[in-house]
Amino acid sequence: MEYAIDAAGSDIAVRCRGLTKTYGAGDASVMALRGIDLDVRCGELLMVVGPSGCGKTTLISVIAGILNQDSGQCEVLGRDLKHMDQRERTRFRGLSIGFVFQLFNLLPALNAVENVSVPLLINGIARKNAEARAEEVLAAVNLGSRLDALPGKLSGGQQQRVAIARALVHEPKLIVCDEPTSNLDHLTGRNMMELLRDIAQSPDRALIVVTHDPRIFEFADRIARMDDGRIVEVVGGNDKEGLQ
Amino acid sequence: MDPAVESTELTINIPDSALARVRSVDGVRSATPLALATADARLPNGRFQSFQLIGVDDATLFGLPPLQDGVSPTVLRTPDAVVVDPGGTDGKLETPISAADQWPYRQPHLDVPTRELAAGDQLLVNDHRVVVRGRGKALPRYPPRPLMYTTLSNASRTLLPERHSLTFVLARAAPSVTPRELAKRIQAQTGLKARSSDDFEADTVNWFLINSEDVGDIASMISIAMLVGFGVTGVMLYMFTTDSLKQYAVLKAMGADSRLLLTMIFVQSGLCALLGTGLGLGMCGIVGQISILEFDFPFRMMWFTPVVGGLMVMLVSILAAAISARPVLKLAPGVVFAGR
Repeated sequence: MEYAIDAAGSDIAVRCRGLTKTYGAGDASVMALRGIDLDVRCGELLMVVGPSGCGKTTLISVIAGILNQDSGQCEVLGRDLKHMDQRERTRFRGLSIGFVFQLFNLLPALNAVENVSVPLLINGIARKNAEARAEEVLAAVNLGSRLDALPGKLSGGQQQRVAIARALVHEPKLIVCDEPTSNLDHLTGRNMMELLRDIAQSPDRALIVVTHDPRIFEFADRIARMDDGRIVEVVGGNDKEGLQ
Repeated sequence: MDPAVESTELTINIPDSALARVRSVDGVRSATPLALATADARLPNGRFQSFQLIGVDDATLFGLPPLQDGVSPTVLRTPDAVVVDPGGTDGKLETPISAADQWPYRQPHLDVPTRELAAGDQLLVNDHRVVVRGRGKALPRYPPRPLMYTTLSNASRTLLPERHSLTFVLARAAPSVTPRELAKRIQAQTGLKARSSDDFEADTVNWFLINSEDVGDIASMISIAMLVGFGVTGVMLYMFTTDSLKQYAVLKAMGADSRLLLTMIFVQSGLCALLGTGLGLGMCGIVGQISILEFDFPFRMMWFTPVVGGLMVMLVSILAAAISARPVLKLAPGVVFAGR
């Protein structure tokens, strides 16, 4: 894949230009995205923040290829999503994007190893190989001793570790996290973000984290603040303190 | 047998000369007569009971089932002798324990203590006295009915006079001839209908399947059970699927395509169908064996029962899975995000 390069010479994992999305029609229509321009660089952790209903979820849904934009361009990992059909998008998601959800969304009937194996199985990897790889990743998130545990037997923090392992197991180039700490206490949330930063962040991988939680802003390389379907500011470095 | 006969259930008699005609066919090792008739017998308590009367060859007693308590079949050659058999019925071959309650003058003694008919008990058939000399161990009949075995000569004395009294000729093939081949020869040379025992058994089963109202009743019951089963399994599978929509959405978001999700639903449904079919047939077999061994009821699982049953269960499960698949295919994976 050939990525776009920004002015600073960094590879661009996600490039959105003039992205719009409207739900419904007529008087009941709601414009969720009103011309989003956003770049996410490879190797960076970008947080998307803003009040409820500002369009954060719609934005990551479009970036993750789950939702079609109405207009504008969304290039993810060098591929223009608008030019992919549904099957291509599904395949692209399976190969290139990892997800971490607010409610973990682990499959309750599968144990930790089986849950983490799911993305590999979807991509056609043999079960034995998939489970071997899943065990490695679970060990990396310090769950090597809970391989056979069902989600119901794991604490919230442990479940989120399994979810992170599941997002990483197929080595995607983009990880999308939706409110990953909102169901966790402060300490567990911080531990989770440290884990994400330590094992998920790499030079060839971008992380997008949608969050309301100001306590984890410090983990972001940059923060994009949204309001009413627009990105109103993107701050990085020490400027993040101002968003508290 | 008469060419019109299709089963043991509905028979018509043939001339006595048929026996000699069959014996004359090349390949017949031996041939014996057998008579079937219906007789109402008065039991010692004064009640009437209908029997299927089976008259066997006086010389060979061929057609007589094994007798209980090691009684020799030759007892049938004693005067007025009969062997009775419950034929799958229960409590119909009883006699009062007390001699005072037997052969009442005015009305039957129905509410007195009874015991099973045994050797030495007497019955009246068409005002002829017959003496029970033993109890048979024949297979239960369908439909169940008491059986009375006697010799052909006794049968001709006790039954009402008829022009013909012979119902079947039982032929045994010579070693060089198969039963089916012999049946063809008999049919060709005598004009009578001839079937091998296996073929006649199959004919009788088919006759029941086509003519018995019981089969229609059972088919109606199965149809209703299938409709109910379809409703219940369809709704349950639909509920299970809709309960798990969020999980399907997660899989969709992670790259599972519609084909994979459909496969999951149909495999679930198919596995349930296989398990259900296996459990159902297993239970049916167990109940059938218990009914044979413990209650002496007739039970037979036809070859097509598991096949048709399995196919119908598969059909039900496929339909249920197809209905359940719709919400999954329509599902937008975006519902997995917190904002949705």
